[in-house]
Amino acid sequence: MLGTMILAEGTNGFLGHTALIVGFAACLFGAFALVAATVLHNPRLLRSVQTYGMFALAGSVLAVVVMEKALITRDWSLAYVQKVGSYDTPALFNFTALWSALEGSILLWLLLLAMYTAIVLRRYRTRMADPIVAWAMVTMFVVTAFFFFLALGPTDVFRAAGAPDFARCCGGPNPLLQNHVLVLFHPPILYLGYVGFTVPFAFAIAALVTGRVGEGWLVETRRWALFAWGFLTLGIILGGWWSYEVLGWGGVWGWDPVENASLLPWLTGTAYIHSVMVQERRGMLRVWNISLLLATFSLTILGTFLTRSGVINSVHAFSDGTIGPYLLGAFGVVVAVSLGLIAWRGDRLRSPGAIDSPLSREGAFLANNVVFTLFAFVILLGTVFPLIVEAKDDRRIAVGSPFFDTMTQPIGLVLLFLMAVAPALPWRKASGELLRDRLFWPAWGGAGALGFSVLVGATGFTPLLAFALAGFAAGAALRQLVLATRRQGYRGLLGRTNGGMVVHLGIILIAVALAASNSYTRAGEFSMTEGDTVEFSGHTFTLLEVSSFETSNSVGIKAQVSIDGGQAYAPAISKYTATGMDVATPSVKTGFTGDIYLTLENGSTPSTGEAKLKIFIKPMIVWMWVGGMLCGVGTLLAAFPGKHRRRPTDAVSAPIPLDEPTLDEPKQVADV
Amino acid sequence: MSRAASLKRWPGWVLLLLVVAGFLAFGSTRDAGARTPEERVEEISKQLACPVCNGETVYESRNTSSTSIRAEIKAQVTSTDATDDEIIAYIVQQFGADTQLLPKASGFESLVWVLPLVALVCAGVGLFFAFRRWQRIADTVPDDADRALVEAALAAETEPEPEPEPEAES
Amino acid sequence: MSDDSPVPFSPAPPSSTGSEVNRRRIAPIIVLVVAAVLGGLFWVLAASDSGSPDEVGLVDSPLIGRAAPSVRSTTIDDAPFDLARRKGSWVVINFFNSTCVPCKAEHPALVEFVAQQATFDDGAEFYTFVQPPDDDDDIRAFFAERGGNWPVVRDDDGRINVAFGVSQVPETFIIDPDGVVRVRWAGEINADILSQLVQQQRVAYGA
Repeated sequence: MLGTMILAEGTNGFLGHTALIVGFAACLFGAFALVAATVLHNPRLLRSVQTYGMFALAGSVLAVVVMEKALITRDWSLAYVQKVGSYDTPALFNFTALWSALEGSILLWLLLLAMYTAIVLRRYRTRMADPIVAWAMVTMFVVTAFFFFLALGPTDVFRAAGAPDFARCCGGPNPLLQNHVLVLFHPPILYLGYVGFTVPFAFAIAALVTGRVGEGWLVETRRWALFAWGFLTLGIILGGWWSYEVLGWGGVWGWDPVENASLLPWLTGTAYIHSVMVQERRGMLRVWNISLLLATFSLTILGTFLTRSGVINSVHAFSDGTIGPYLLGAFGVVVAVSLGLIAWRGDRLRSPGAIDSPLSREGAFLANNVVFTLFAFVILLGTVFPLIVEAKDDRRIAVGSPFFDTMTQPIGLVLLFLMAVAPALPWRKASGELLRDRLFWPAWGGAGALGFSVLVGATGFTPLLAFALAGFAAGAALRQLVLATRRQGYRGLLGRTNGGMVVHLGIILIAVALAASNSYTRAGEFSMTEGDTVEFSGHTFTLLEVSSFETSNSVGIKAQVSIDGGQAYAPAISKYTATGMDVATPSVKTGFTGDIYLTLENGSTPSTGEAKLKIFIKPMIVWMWVGGMLCGVGTLLAAFPGKHRRRPTDAVSAPIPLDEPTLDEPKQVADV
Repeated sequence: MSRAASLKRWPGWVLLLLVVAGFLAFGSTRDAGARTPEERVEEISKQLACPVCNGETVYESRNTSSTSIRAEIKAQVTSTDATDDEIIAYIVQQFGADTQLLPKASGFESLVWVLPLVALVCAGVGLFFAFRRWQRIADTVPDDADRALVEAALAAETEPEPEPEPEAES
Repeated sequence: MSDDSPVPFSPAPPSSTGSEVNRRRIAPIIVLVVAAVLGGLFWVLAASDSGSPDEVGLVDSPLIGRAAPSVRSTTIDDAPFDLARRKGSWVVINFFNSTCVPCKAEHPALVEFVAQQATFDDGAEFYTFVQPPDDDDDIRAFFAERGGNWPVVRDDDGRINVAFGVSQVPETFIIDPDGVVRVRWAGEINADILSQLVQQQRVAYGA
């Protein structure tokens, strides 16, 4: 019977299933071997663990390769290829069709997870006998095994299908995923971030299980957490950029439930990478750090569930999945295990130390934790609230951008303020005098930013306040960088603090771009015929030509519009023949101070030369992408090792001499 | 005391606050210019959910029903003097309450507004008590047992630290 | 791996100062509260089903029991159309477009229904509303191919669709002789159901 089953599948299906089974088994064996080795104190069992890791990686790589091959060769014997493959899709989008629907996205997740597992295994191969490493690997194997199970069972990625009915199938991926190259970058980078948080999570579980909740495991995983965070940040920014370039309504963020699901782990992850510094220095906030780390991973799973279960409506959602209950179950297990472990080891987690004063860097990081947690709570509440109301009253409401915008603005302002003040705060305790001294020039930077904004014509209290605080925060970050480079040359840009300041600058740029584009976007709609010129917001737009065009899988209308008498831009609107779906392709003229964003609306006719054109003037958008790049650069800089490894007996901070005549130059003190 | 230091005391800061307040007052009361009809339509349609799509607003969605709603909003904006709220109320009336993206401030739905405030208050109270407890701990004086512990740890250092190069104020 | 045993930080002394005891009592409470909240979240997520708004059948409408919106437009044959002037007879209106799959599927049923109603003295009147991107030629071709001959009214700016709260085609409304909307049906309909609904409403109206 197994034989006939195998014969019924094509080669690809068989290979794919085999690869997944091998991977699944390897993970299970690896986990068992590690548990047995640790519990029975038998190091000989550890020898095979590396091999199991390699097999798991090989399984996932082979599965991905087989699926890509099936897509490229248009092997219709696989149900997934019938779902997202097509004869007419261009090569690039056929390749990225791998992750364009539910089953394939699980494969991508699996590939990255197995890759991380293999890398961690290799890095710690000499230390497998250490229980913390062993339990961390067990956790990683278990999580990987779960995803292998998902790919085999509930979603059965390599499910065989009958003969293709070309009237209903084989139309290719969703047209929105077929018209921009960012589809190649955004999902993999985003997943690198999501999946990356599995590693510090595994170590956190290991620390709790073994009871060694001191600082050792933290130092080990600091760079993993940082890289995962960096990828997640980059992935989210790329998602915003992709929305902007493709969706035609000129926005970068829509508070869509799936977008929120990606933001939630980012928020707790950001809180974690800050608060972890307090634990390294003072051994404090251990419960916070463990909770934040476990919450980040749980939110990753919750996000995966929300995206794939169809529970919440979203343009991004992969609906029609039977995978929902399994992911929800996984979320429940992760949360239960986390809470249980924290409750069990609670007494060891408590630290005898104290945060002496709210006005200190520890105090600022604690405030940071609280603000980010509140932020995450608000977004989670808004996202699931429609479900709560539906469960209680059986009616549907919608919670959208008006709610989230109202809630986010004050929180964003508070965060900008914290970004401004915290880098200047010393550890342990600050005096008002010290702060007055250190924050003086940054504060004038804020005033300068505010003055400049007012002079160029900005209005409105909230955006102006945001610009002022952004200038303040930028001043504080630059001050730190200037002092460090003055003292250490180029090394003043490396290391956690300095790299962190570069990331802060990136975030500030993003905040400014968001504030400006949300408050000062201008929009106008014009019906034009060929040869017409309109003037809008200080620019002239001339409609040169309206024409039709055809690609391998769509027909469309394109308009050539010349901006300010210069180069022509061509917004278009296409109808994808397979699905009948209309997709608008906006055309953007990017500028230093703002973008001119053109879209073509329905109702344009090439035969009469009429076009309905919508014009957006969006200030400062390009700074979002520049800020995103800076975040990436800063993350790399922050990953460099500092000059010293900090030892537990190092002084936490230098004593601050308050009777010195001048406080302009911080004193040269040892190991501040 | 150097001039720089004296500047940084209260005269410099007072001047700063005056400058900031002045700019803010000027900027926030300045007229931003009238909104074009398209901008009004945009603002209104951002507050409405597309009736059939997956979670898009009427503003974003390219669906036929959303396009019709936008056309309706535009007609009302340009030819009547209905306010934004009246137009929203009309659309909500025709399509149902789940079209409006802002939960009401009454009944069960108000929880979505109330809970964050409650959480904020709890956070504030929690921080207050935490700092109070820490203050009590910080006020303790190290005793001989503590000192002995630190001596032992320092003595366990194998060699003196290399030439210290300060990491700037971190 | 650097040593992370509790030296040099001395472990918390087991002496029970007031604050220590309070902490030991508060911690389990916090864990319980967090567990309860997360449990609630879990339950809500488990209890909700796929929120897809694709419904077929009798649908509630804010218009039911109220006067139909005023509709003044032209048919594709350029005859004027005013819904208010149809008072005195039962009116069935249908919103569709020529490409949607359920619209094509239900068209024979509508042809049958209209033919049936034509045999009665006070049979219901039937009108179809169309909007861009369908144009007059598409509609004429559709009817030529599939039969049926009743007035098709233009809704060029979609305002009539919005006035009736039409979210997805096809949708069918039944309006009584006083101009009050009685029934809204979303999705594909068949002749039996439609005549049954009209009959039910007649009975209720007559009573």
